[in-house]
Amino acid sequence: MHKGYLAIVLHTHLPYVRHPEHEDFLEEDWLYEAITETYIPLITVFQRLLDDNVKFRLTMSLTPTLISMLSDSLLQDRYIKHINRLIELAHKEVERTRWDGEFNSLANMYLAKFYEARNTFEKYGRNLTTAFKAFQDAGRIEIITCGATHGYFPLMDVSRASIRAQVKVAVGHYEKAFGRKPLGIWLPECGYYPGYDEILKEAGIKYFFSDSHGVLHGTPRPKYGVFAPVYCKSGVACFGRDLESSKQVWSSIEGYPGDYVYREFYRDIGFDLDYEYIRPYIHPDGVRISTGIKYYRITGTTNNKAAYNPHWAKDKAAEHAGNFMFNRQKQAEYLFDFLQKKPIIVSPYDAELYGHWWYEGPMWLDFLIRKIACDQKTISMITPSEYLSENPRNQVLTPSASSWGWKGYNEMWLQGSNDWIYRHLDVASERMTELAKKFSNTNGMLRRALNQALRELLLAQSSDWAFIMGTGTHVSYAVKRTKDHLLRFTRLYEDIKANSVDEAWLSDIEYKDNIFPDIDYRVHQ
Amino acid sequence: MAMLRNVKNKIKKVTKKISAEKDAPKSKLKKEYPVDQAVETKIETAKYYTPERRPERAMQQDLPFSYDVDRMVLQVRDPWWLHTYWEVRHGTIEKLRHELKDDFSKAKRVLRVYDVSNIIFDGSNAHRFFDISVNEYATNWYIDAGGPGRSWCVDLGLLLPGGRFITILRSNVVHTPLEGPSWITDEEWMIPEDMFARLYGLGIGFGSSPAKVKRLWEQRLKREITSGAISSVSSPGRRPQEKKFWLVVNTELIVYGATEPDATVTVQGRHINLRPDGTFSLRFALPDGEQVIPVKAVSSDKQDERVITPVVNKKTK
Repeated sequence: MHKGYLAIVLHTHLPYVRHPEHEDFLEEDWLYEAITETYIPLITVFQRLLDDNVKFRLTMSLTPTLISMLSDSLLQDRYIKHINRLIELAHKEVERTRWDGEFNSLANMYLAKFYEARNTFEKYGRNLTTAFKAFQDAGRIEIITCGATHGYFPLMDVSRASIRAQVKVAVGHYEKAFGRKPLGIWLPECGYYPGYDEILKEAGIKYFFSDSHGVLHGTPRPKYGVFAPVYCKSGVACFGRDLESSKQVWSSIEGYPGDYVYREFYRDIGFDLDYEYIRPYIHPDGVRISTGIKYYRITGTTNNKAAYNPHWAKDKAAEHAGNFMFNRQKQAEYLFDFLQKKPIIVSPYDAELYGHWWYEGPMWLDFLIRKIACDQKTISMITPSEYLSENPRNQVLTPSASSWGWKGYNEMWLQGSNDWIYRHLDVASERMTELAKKFSNTNGMLRRALNQALRELLLAQSSDWAFIMGTGTHVSYAVKRTKDHLLRFTRLYEDIKANSVDEAWLSDIEYKDNIFPDIDYRVHQ
Repeated sequence: MAMLRNVKNKIKKVTKKISAEKDAPKSKLKKEYPVDQAVETKIETAKYYTPERRPERAMQQDLPFSYDVDRMVLQVRDPWWLHTYWEVRHGTIEKLRHELKDDFSKAKRVLRVYDVSNIIFDGSNAHRFFDISVNEYATNWYIDAGGPGRSWCVDLGLLLPGGRFITILRSNVVHTPLEGPSWITDEEWMIPEDMFARLYGLGIGFGSSPAKVKRLWEQRLKREITSGAISSVSSPGRRPQEKKFWLVVNTELIVYGATEPDATVTVQGRHINLRPDGTFSLRFALPDGEQVIPVKAVSSDKQDERVITPVVNKKTK
């Protein structure tokens, strides 16, 4: 008998990185790597499931910044250039490894994968958003939205007009991309503070997610823990994360991705091979970077790594999928007896964990979905909106302020390395509200300047910059992005007030920061 | 994970940073530096000045040190800690200096932290407050409020020798989250205590034994089992910092040569492409063992043929 639900959520996000002013830009590789290693493998999995008529339900957030990059023709052309270079390198690798069977078959595997990536990319008209849209229209995945630029809401509390703008711009952008309204939202970093649900309600959003303690520490106590959603006073539903299922995948110690037969992330030929040989495929400045061709398995804890064996890895992914399903069945059975109600187990992950970090992740997901569909009847996959229409009556409570970041609150984005940004971001937000109030009806260049001011403000607010500053890697780029957008905003603010907008300069930054072409600055109220 | 280690190191730094003395020289530097730079830029610009073109409005190179406003913002870091940043206009301080005369130099600058839970704060009705001394250069502070589930407001002010407190700035009000489950239960959705404890443990991923749950939850906060460690921006595209000394040696073999540009060449039976001048170069990873590499060239009229066969033996000791 059917005893409970599993809601898998993939949060799919990258910050807006697009530099038309540079021929080759290192940080743009984040997108290209994610396309090759995560988005295309996921699309391939979903497409095969659809072709085989395997029923599945899965929730995916696609952030407005990511959708914008996937739909951008410059980045699309650059991806083709990127994948062509990888194909060329893989051809060379097939030749180079001719005398070493183990590595030769791996080189051939990569060559085939890169060709497949290019074909898939072309098949969807170079815009992968259309692939995800097709899966949503086919009733298989439910796409939800996120903050326009992934601003971290709990640290924008004195700038609520900006939170509102982040949500409204995102909702408008979603409608244009998918031809319908978003039902749910992934709050950036699951960052919630009591009352933000009101802003979601204004935008027509029905549900969001919080980390487990957001619901468990809510007031009053949640009767079903995280195994049923709750309604905030606004009527917006909140689904709490189940940490047990998360840990099985996420944990660096006991999680599946650390298994010794899986592919080793850090051993890449970009670092391993002779410099002169690999030079054309690394950064033009000569800095060694990952290429995506990785020949080793994790092997163990030392530096001695053995060659990757795709067959062993596939068997292991199947075994892990079986294990995950078994544990969810036991969990659902236990909870069903305990609660006298079908539990919903919410398991959210960063999509980039699958494929990019955990190479076998998409394969694991494929096995899991097929096993759930064919091998058992205890659990079924569901999306939050389906659950809510089946179970409209839920407890009302106020979730606790929380995030899914390091330590569960705001510290990742508020520490010595990044706390300086808020004094600038808050002033800019206040100034944006001032402009929106002062110029309620405009046209021509003034309107363009005001819209661009909001773009710059939103881009400066991306939580990614503070996060990167907090981790201590790529810091200079994150600092530069924060400053560049704030400085552009400030100049626009001053020029607009002085009625002296420099059109040539405005055109230049419109060309550089071209996100959200249909933005309307008046949403910032 | 390397990224996690970095994060931990950062935290250590933050804890150190809490002393404001460290901020002092930094703020001074920031104030004075742009002045020198402005002069330099002016000289530099004059050197390259071209009179025909209308000079473009120069883009500011760095964010301003201040916005010339009186402003204080309070933020929640976690259930126990708050963070505040502020800015005081020069004129505001001068006005106070003028009004307070001698008392101004004797006054201590303090942050007064008010517990304003469940009240509309009017400046005098706080449940309690405590003071933190700060120096005049500090512009932000991490506050150990020690009170989860409470509302807070902070003043920056002057504490006069007689005990009088003068507010310079007042922050917004924030609410710290609870550090554990709420004590409030819902009549309509009642749940027995031990049942909730089990559910709580299950949701947090520590099984259903209530005794362990609280301790494990605290550990979770300290030991960072949350996903944030590898969440957000992916692409940790770099090698991990490995402390152990290590060495990797690989060998490759380059086979190169030349023939007539229109000849047909095979290496180990496989056709290869020649460069326009008839030269060729191949590169192979060289595993242990013997490699026999016949290189055969056939002239375009198929009349001539040459075969040269290098044999390479590689051994790793």
